[in-house]
Amino acid sequence: MRLSLEHIVPIPLKDKINEYNSRVWNQQLTFNSGERVFIQAPSGTGKTTLVHFLYGLRKDYEGKIHWSAFKMHEINREQLSQLRASSVSVIFQDMRLFPELTTWENIEVKRRLTNTVSEYDAEKWLDKLGVKHKADSPASKLSYGEQQRVAIVRALVQPFEWLIMDEPFSHLDYANRQRAIALIDEVATMNRAGLLLADLDDNDYFTYSRKLLL
Amino acid sequence: MKPLKQSRLVQKLLLRHRSNNRLWASLIALFAGTTLLLIAVMIWWNFSLILSGTHDNDSLGSTFLTIGKQVTDQSMGKKGASLFTPKEILTIENAPQVQDVGMLVSNRFPVYASLSVANGFSTDMFLEAVPDRFMDKQPNGWSWEEGNTQVPIILSSDFLNLYNYGFALSQNLPQLSQTTIQALAFDITIGRGLYTEQYTGRVVGFSDRISSVLVPESFIEHGNKTFAPNAPIAPSRLILKVKDPSDKRFAEFLQMNSYTTNAEQLRWNKMRGVVDAVATGTGILALLLMGIGTLVFILFIELTIAKAEASLSLLLQMGYSPRYLGMFMLRRFVPLIVITLMASAVIALILQEVIAAKGKALNVTLPDLPGWPVWVALAASAGVLLAFVSRSIFKAINQEQ
Repeated sequence: MRLSLEHIVPIPLKDKINEYNSRVWNQQLTFNSGERVFIQAPSGTGKTTLVHFLYGLRKDYEGKIHWSAFKMHEINREQLSQLRASSVSVIFQDMRLFPELTTWENIEVKRRLTNTVSEYDAEKWLDKLGVKHKADSPASKLSYGEQQRVAIVRALVQPFEWLIMDEPFSHLDYANRQRAIALIDEVATMNRAGLLLADLDDNDYFTYSRKLLL
Repeated sequence: MKPLKQSRLVQKLLLRHRSNNRLWASLIALFAGTTLLLIAVMIWWNFSLILSGTHDNDSLGSTFLTIGKQVTDQSMGKKGASLFTPKEILTIENAPQVQDVGMLVSNRFPVYASLSVANGFSTDMFLEAVPDRFMDKQPNGWSWEEGNTQVPIILSSDFLNLYNYGFALSQNLPQLSQTTIQALAFDITIGRGLYTEQYTGRVVGFSDRISSVLVPESFIEHGNKTFAPNAPIAPSRLILKVKDPSDKRFAEFLQMNSYTTNAEQLRWNKMRGVVDAVATGTGILALLLMGIGTLVFILFIELTIAKAEASLSLLLQMGYSPRYLGMFMLRRFVPLIVITLMASAVIALILQEVIAAKGKALNVTLPDLPGWPVWVALAASAGVLLAFVSRSIFKAINQEQ
């Protein structure tokens, strides 16, 4: 699945964008399937805004975003849900777990949507990230770090061609981060999926094919 | 770890906040409204059945009317003034509510009856005939062909009553039961002068519908042809099959043409007004209650969705489709509606059985099961309710991001 951005300009940041030399905003960009892209975005440059545009959560922009045949400015709600369920997955900066569900329920609510990942794999991945023992704990009782690891596993228990990540390791220590990176790399490779990671500082978590400054 | 059921997870997220009190209140209002609506339809439907006479409700005297021309001071002396002309019959056939018109043809020859067992009991009498389709009863042996010496007779129940309670008492004669009368054989002599014919008459049944002494049409035709070939065959009375005798236009038609009928038979006119008012009142109340019930139910759904807004929004972000979530909500709420409507249907079924039983006691035959208008009303209310509920669910879900 190819991702193209045609001169995307967020309307709230319209005036600000011209002040600096963004390699993303108001540019013509195409990301081929399987690419691993890093977008470095200093505070206030619209990192989360971009993630929300790509995931179809916001539409207050000028320009066009295409996920292959899906045109984000024309997409209807059913198509959008299809795109999210089986082509584009996301790890939100603010995790967005269901606080009233347990860790395992949070995984299951996503896994059951497509039933493409076995519960054995899901359990194994939770174990890899060290949160299996929290399976029956309500998400609201988890620490930020634990929540972030659950959110990562949740993003992986669906088929995807692209994984969008918004500061995915912000609450993880080095060891946990390395385990998470290894897992994402493994599952993304298995899916032959592209990665698009947005973060504040430069990093080499993955072998990026492209690094862009927002 | 055990795999979990998707629907149970979604239910936990979306329906955790529902208020059972509100749900019960709305379901009770819906149940009351639907039940009242069905009752209103049943009142109207059962009454229509009685009026249209589809179930042989002749004892109510509603569907078959005998009409004649009013005998006035002016028409008294005129021969044939009380007979119906073909033109008049045609007009009556086209009158409001009239479904069928039959002629009551009377004898144009003298009839003399005597009872051999009661020596000396003899009388001049008259006979009439109507087409068989207007008869309320067609007892065994109700036919006559030339050459038959036995003539079957159907007597008006009113005549027997007149005899038993009026004549017999005053003349110190024995009162007679229907079976006794049926056991008697009359000698009937028709014709005048030298040429007469002798028959044996036997009462084979009693009619509530027609106040007359009835014999088969073929017998009257034979007598009229034989003894009065030149007499006019125009009828003096007509029997009408009327769809709804309570219709004002029909009553006005009779009045305008000075036709007489048993006024009692038109008593439904007033009753119909009362029943209409009751059915309309119940119907309006039912619609009001259903409206309130639907409104409370919809508010309940919207409130449930609003309370689960965060979960709903996140489910959509996960990739759950609005259609799936809408159908999920519908699947949770539709059974409640269906059960409520079914409870109303059960009440309607029981009620109709009670009505039929009560009717039977009053000699009114009514079906044991509610008829199609009741089911149509139920289906219509179910349709409207489901349309409103699904619309409100999908509208609420589509408002979410």
